[in-house]
Amino acid sequence: MAEFTDDIFFATIGELNAKLRAKEFSAHELVRAFAQRLEKLGPRYNALALPLTETAIHLARDVDKELKRERYRGPLQGIPFGAKDLLSCAGQITTWGARPYAAQVFDYTATVLKKLEKTGSVLIGKLAMVELAGGGGYHSAGASMFGPGLNPWDRTRWSGGSSSGSGSAVAAGLVPFALGSETNGSILTPAAFCGVTGLRPTYGLVSRHGAMPLSWTMDKIGPLCRSAEDCALVLEVISGSDAEDPGSARKSFYYARQYYRQPKDLRIGYAPADFAESTQPSARPAFERALAVIRETGAQLIETKLPDLPYREVTSTIILSEGVSVFEPLITSGKIDELADPHQIAGLKTALDIPARDYLKAMRIRTIVQQKVRSMFGELDILLAPSRFGPASKISEPINRPTPTGPGLSALTAAGNLAGLPALSLPCGFADGMPVAIQLVGPAFSENMLLAMGKEFQTRTDWHRKHPKVS
Amino acid sequence: MNQKITRRRLAAAALGSAAALRAAQPAAASPEDPRAAAQEQLRKNSEAIGKTQLSMSTEPAFSFKA
Repeated sequence: MAEFTDDIFFATIGELNAKLRAKEFSAHELVRAFAQRLEKLGPRYNALALPLTETAIHLARDVDKELKRERYRGPLQGIPFGAKDLLSCAGQITTWGARPYAAQVFDYTATVLKKLEKTGSVLIGKLAMVELAGGGGYHSAGASMFGPGLNPWDRTRWSGGSSSGSGSAVAAGLVPFALGSETNGSILTPAAFCGVTGLRPTYGLVSRHGAMPLSWTMDKIGPLCRSAEDCALVLEVISGSDAEDPGSARKSFYYARQYYRQPKDLRIGYAPADFAESTQPSARPAFERALAVIRETGAQLIETKLPDLPYREVTSTIILSEGVSVFEPLITSGKIDELADPHQIAGLKTALDIPARDYLKAMRIRTIVQQKVRSMFGELDILLAPSRFGPASKISEPINRPTPTGPGLSALTAAGNLAGLPALSLPCGFADGMPVAIQLVGPAFSENMLLAMGKEFQTRTDWHRKHPKVS
Repeated sequence: MNQKITRRRLAAAALGSAAALRAAQPAAASPEDPRAAAQEQLRKNSEAIGKTQLSMSTEPAFSFKA
């Protein structure tokens, strides 16, 4: 039996694949080691929703048989992973992080999980999340039936949400990669707070079939990994057309960074204030260094700002309006009162009163957001801003601390989600001993360009290789 | 008629309009009261959305494609 150490638990997908191919260990040994680690340490971070160890080991033995026959299905073959508990897995409990759904079982499996299984990747557990992906507007880290997501870098701090278990499980080396989802920051935030690399794909590139609906026009599924390159490998598998998803863009993604423009040919828009006075003082040195690294790549940094539009208010109105329609039966049945966060309960109940006038106006403003942001990409290739403007907050503190509202790209997360644009969050240093990160946002379906730039950044830095002490 | 604007008169006018504005707005929500905070959020959303000027031809992003 191979000995599994931190070298394995914090290895990238490419590194694990090479070791599998070199027969340093078998797939079932690898899967067993990660699954046992997830079962043992997952609860330490409130990251584990449901262990799937036995099923996983069984599947991994099948992978070993294939590998023995030299039937290779790609770099994810035999690689264990975790999935946010909003993705249905036939016959298994899928809670959506919410007590009213604690016993919910679907008889079908989410498209993304089927795609990963087909390529030989092995699901070892469902990962905890903020209840209902935070659709009602939550104010505390404890807004989950699994308890507050605890950050592996400091368990007194939040892991971020709503893909809280996905962020902390990757950061703690409990899974090599995880699937999360984002409606408005739910991949970028845990990726930033936990110091892992997160990719929010273009709306429609990855099927949402089998995922909890919150906002039909804004939900996206994406990976949280150890590197930009790992995100690319996962995206290549989970992307693609799906007739079961009405929002499917019917496009696929093929990782081809070698065909993308060199950094020196890229024009990157940023706002200096976002890296200085808008950020928490302790995070400024890290963000300044990140800017310096981007400059060193030869990319042209150009000052820019988002057009003055009510991004956050439009986002909030759309998510609440669509979410309240999805969860109306939960509200009218009274079961909503079983949620953990009183602000979520009140947010969804109150959202029943949003007039159609406001939803329609928000969707009309969204058209303008799409047009204006698209026009920014006439002169720029990438928009750059901090993923979050400081490190993770203490779990004892309210999480809805004010975000900067000045001119610049401080509303980039909301704007990018409204416009359905891809974003890549890259760890870029530490503040108060906690990770901080930058985000790169590009035009629709520009994942290859973002991932190529991310890979370049991670070739020049080692923040993505840092990991917390876990025992 | 030419009226001289003194600093005192200007200050009084500014204070008066600020007071009138405060009176016109509902009381700020207590952060301790989730329902009041949620209602306040909806009010702010509605106000911000209402202020945005759109041409009549701007259609909602319904058939949403990135």
